[in-house]
Amino acid sequence: MTRDMTGHDDQVIAMLLGDAPASPALDAWLRSHAGRRELAAYQQALGAFAKIYGTIRVPRPRPTAYYCVISSPIGRVLVAATEAGLVRVSFRRSEASFVAELRERLAVEVLPSPAKTARIVHQLRAYFAGERRRFDIEIDFRHVTSFQRRVLLAATQGPAGQVVSYGEIARRIGRPGGSRAVGQALGHNPVPIVVPCHRVVAAGGALGGYTGGLDIKRKLLRIEGALAATG
Amino acid sequence: MVRSSLSLADLAERHRPELLAYLVRMLGDEHDAQDVCQDTFLRAQRAFARLRPDSNCRAWLYRIATRSALNALRRRSRAIARRVDVDLDGLPARVGTSGEGRVRLAAVATAVGGLPPRQRAALMLRQFHGLAYAEIATTLGGNEAAARANVYQAIKKLRAALGGSTP
Repeated sequence: MTRDMTGHDDQVIAMLLGDAPASPALDAWLRSHAGRRELAAYQQALGAFAKIYGTIRVPRPRPTAYYCVISSPIGRVLVAATEAGLVRVSFRRSEASFVAELRERLAVEVLPSPAKTARIVHQLRAYFAGERRRFDIEIDFRHVTSFQRRVLLAATQGPAGQVVSYGEIARRIGRPGGSRAVGQALGHNPVPIVVPCHRVVAAGGALGGYTGGLDIKRKLLRIEGALAATG
Repeated sequence: MVRSSLSLADLAERHRPELLAYLVRMLGDEHDAQDVCQDTFLRAQRAFARLRPDSNCRAWLYRIATRSALNALRRRSRAIARRVDVDLDGLPARVGTSGEGRVRLAAVATAVGGLPPRQRAALMLRQFHGLAYAEIATTLGGNEAAARANVYQAIKKLRAALGGSTP
């Protein structure tokens, strides 16, 4: 700093920021040549600063996914929803890894919010209690391929409590012989239970696979089967 | 703004835009600002349960954002040497000024870039985010007098960047 401090700097700044009014002594100094020069310099500095940083382009906030953790007969279930709808149902994983995966894969902010997930949580509880078979909820399909979306939608079409084969789903989407691709698409179902991929089984009645583990697939089918038996 | 029955999701909805603007001012980069904003809410989530019901939520969020920003700046200065030249076109706002005005802007921009991060934070909070010195103190730690001193020191450096004599 090559400039000599005048000793009035703090008072000039206080005046310019509106922190304190100018004292009579400062007023007198500001009328001097040096005072006028300093005041102009401070005004220019603050003016330049405001010009550079005052009206910045604020990036649009990333979209947010809100999540909630519930306990259920199949253990802990994590659900997440965006403004567009349900985006994830997961089980058998930690909250931290669930959140990290959403952040990374969907490029969203992730926040806990029972309020923003109330609808799906309410329906899931009813489902686990055997009081509900179908979900009435928007699903955010923006993060799946169009093929996967068709497969997932086709999987929601069948009657609850009744299994369907991979081949049948393939036929529903007009791709007979596409069982393998259907199996893969269902294997990456982002919203299991709600899109009931557990009801899809191999031809001949074998259970096929399930991302959540076959025991969960069995449990879910049992929940739905019990419903059929009592209903 | 008192916590009362607000959830963190409510707070995020309400304050994220201004926090993002603050982080752009602190980091000079939109992408970094987004990342640090995300980091801010992650930390906020961990600390939310300990937030007292009568707390000033806004200042609390600014405090977490500031800590996250200072950490990011530390990481950055370790990773690459601090840039000395200022590219005016790369500044947050488009500045349509020419000649002498441009030179002045460049000098002030360089001075802002050279401010210690805490002074930069104090200055941004005071000038653009309407935080009182007491709130800046909450945000940076320390007392009100220290907060004010940080703002004043920063402004003196911006003025000094314009040189000894100005027309």
